[in-house]
Amino acid sequence: MSHPPHDQETLSAMDRRSFLRAGVGGTLFLGTVSVTAGLSGCATTPAGRLDAADTPVDDGYQFQFLTRDDIELFRALLPAIVGPALTEEPKQRRQAIAGTIERIDQGIVQFGPANQKELRKLFDLLNFGLTRITVARVWSSWPNVTTSEADAFLERWRTSGIGLFNNGYIALTKISNVAFYGHPEHWHLSGYPGPPEWAMKSLPQFNNA
Amino acid sequence: MSLTDRIAKGLEAGWKVTDASTLTDHQTHEADVVIIGTGAGGGTTAEILARAGLSVILVEEGRLYYQKDFKMDELTAYASLYQEGMSRVTKDGAIAILQGRCVGGSTTVNWTSSFRTPEPTLNYWADNFGLENLRPEAMKPWFDGREERHTVSPWLTDPNLNNDILRQGCEKLGHSWNVIPRNVKGCWNLGYCGVGCPTNAKQGALTTTIPGALDNDARLFHGLRADKLVMKQDRIDHLVASAMSADSVTPSGVKVHLKARHFVVAASAIGSPGLLLRSDIPDPHNRIGKRSFIHPVNATVAQMPEQVDPFYGAPQSIYSDEFNFREGVDGPAGYKLEVPPLHPAMSSGVVPGHGAEQRDNLKLLPWMQSVIALLRDGFHPDSPGGTVSLRDDGSPVLDYPVTDYLWDGLRRAFHTMAEIQFAAGAERVRLMHLDSPWLNSWSEARAAIDELPMELHRVRLFTAHQMGGCGMGEDPQQSVVNGFGEHHHVSNLSIHDASIFPTSIGANPQLSVYALAARNSTRLAGKLKG
Repeated sequence: MSHPPHDQETLSAMDRRSFLRAGVGGTLFLGTVSVTAGLSGCATTPAGRLDAADTPVDDGYQFQFLTRDDIELFRALLPAIVGPALTEEPKQRRQAIAGTIERIDQGIVQFGPANQKELRKLFDLLNFGLTRITVARVWSSWPNVTTSEADAFLERWRTSGIGLFNNGYIALTKISNVAFYGHPEHWHLSGYPGPPEWAMKSLPQFNNA
Repeated sequence: MSLTDRIAKGLEAGWKVTDASTLTDHQTHEADVVIIGTGAGGGTTAEILARAGLSVILVEEGRLYYQKDFKMDELTAYASLYQEGMSRVTKDGAIAILQGRCVGGSTTVNWTSSFRTPEPTLNYWADNFGLENLRPEAMKPWFDGREERHTVSPWLTDPNLNNDILRQGCEKLGHSWNVIPRNVKGCWNLGYCGVGCPTNAKQGALTTTIPGALDNDARLFHGLRADKLVMKQDRIDHLVASAMSADSVTPSGVKVHLKARHFVVAASAIGSPGLLLRSDIPDPHNRIGKRSFIHPVNATVAQMPEQVDPFYGAPQSIYSDEFNFREGVDGPAGYKLEVPPLHPAMSSGVVPGHGAEQRDNLKLLPWMQSVIALLRDGFHPDSPGGTVSLRDDGSPVLDYPVTDYLWDGLRRAFHTMAEIQFAAGAERVRLMHLDSPWLNSWSEARAAIDELPMELHRVRLFTAHQMGGCGMGEDPQQSVVNGFGEHHHVSNLSIHDASIFPTSIGANPQLSVYALAARNSTRLAGKLKG
């Protein structure tokens, strides 16, 4: 098989027009993907609690939004999004990624129904084999995607001339970056010392904990 | 909990506060006035009406959070205190919307900047919307009164370096700048206004008007979502509301009916038009949800030679209006310059990027400085604003097209901000734009800003100020309410929030909302008592 060309070359002007015609924000198109994904064996229910064998963080966390496929998606993407900021030590690295995915799930739960629906469409598009290959141009299933392949995918969506892809890039990186860099254990990566100690010592809400 | 905490003390003393997630049965309550929303507008209205002796019920979709919950933690605060867990965006996803959802509304999470409505804005309203009674001289006593109520005064402590760099750059370039008036009392200068004031220094609705109303027998339901105002002939008979579960995302199934003589909607420039649209409120000229304004915001970040620590200190203390009205009130888009605080979660979401580049950018946070421009939208035919409509599930969504007129303003604002940062000694400057590299000099930045595409998604856009959508005016064909916030067609309905502004303000809007709500509530109290 010949190497897939860059999406900006592949998506001809006609493709682009029909993509945009599919509705503002691609709603119609992505909606179809969601239905198709459900009919074709993609995981469509929240993952709940993962088996101990399936997660490096056995903290009993119950996934309320992310499906098992979504979790695989983020296991493939996070090494490209936040990987360079992570330790190379394999166990800690896996734990940091697993913890970030849990916080992504927690965050999305608070997003509420409307934005959850948008993210469902995005994740289904990326998880469903046909659209993963034709739209995201990712040839392997996510568990088999290398970090450099994940990075190439993110770069394609970031530099794409199609707003919908830019939007997808922002959505994926923003929820990942916030869940990762916003976590107290990772504050040191941005040189943030945390709230001033003296204030915490003086304030009642920190003394009741 | 500290006995100095106003809310903790009030709850202990028996304030009538109900967490709707604890309700197990459908129920009906009645008052003289039902107020929907507890932010700048709802809080002010509740206190004034309750003090006048009227019985008041306040309805808030978000939950009651106060000092015990404010632990200077971004992730918790964004999930609990902001609309849609801080994920709210415009319809096409291109503009991030920062908006409070909790008792006190956005005043619980804003950065305390408290400006009077600029005089050119009030005069523009008088000249273009028939709002003669809102001229600056007529509004002055209301601003005076609200500044006193919310302890507004210019910030006399030295600005943090993040803000001082804006001052230094303006000084170097000969731009005007000034000190921001803040609504704080005994502020510790910590820098956590955006995640709920941990010291109760902030004098937003949560620590002033809401306690004032509750002290005067008002009743507050929080975690209660206003679904629909139900009309009986030409008047509103009652509000149907849904209790939310403790997760504040899913309705519990319990319905609450609230009956009143008068209804005041103060659910924000997105929430209020949403409620009116869901309720099929008479709208013969199709004005509800139209002319929504947002002060579109773009931003630059600079790497400074000295440590800035942009996460500490009063987040906003210096501003520049050099470019706000310079081209006239209705010329090319004007913009106000301010500074945002930078904490790790917010910064990692605002600075676009991933991988090693993102890691290296965020590593610079202690040396980072940022300037934001707030565009004054709605003063020109090419800035007609956006539209609030309903999604299939009844929730409101804002569609905001960015016109060429606004792109021109955004590009000019990029120029101004980068030039100011270099003038203040920045080593490098980066635009919040998907394609922007770090720029090493003002001349390099100037060339890059001329070249970079001004396009949705590529330019990172934000709004922290939602206005309009139920605009006021004397002409019912052009507006939803009159200059007193009274609905043109439904006699027992008033709107007391930023949704009634016929344009954007050209300054952070909280004091504009406080002042108009105080004026309009005083009149309403007189009418209802009389």
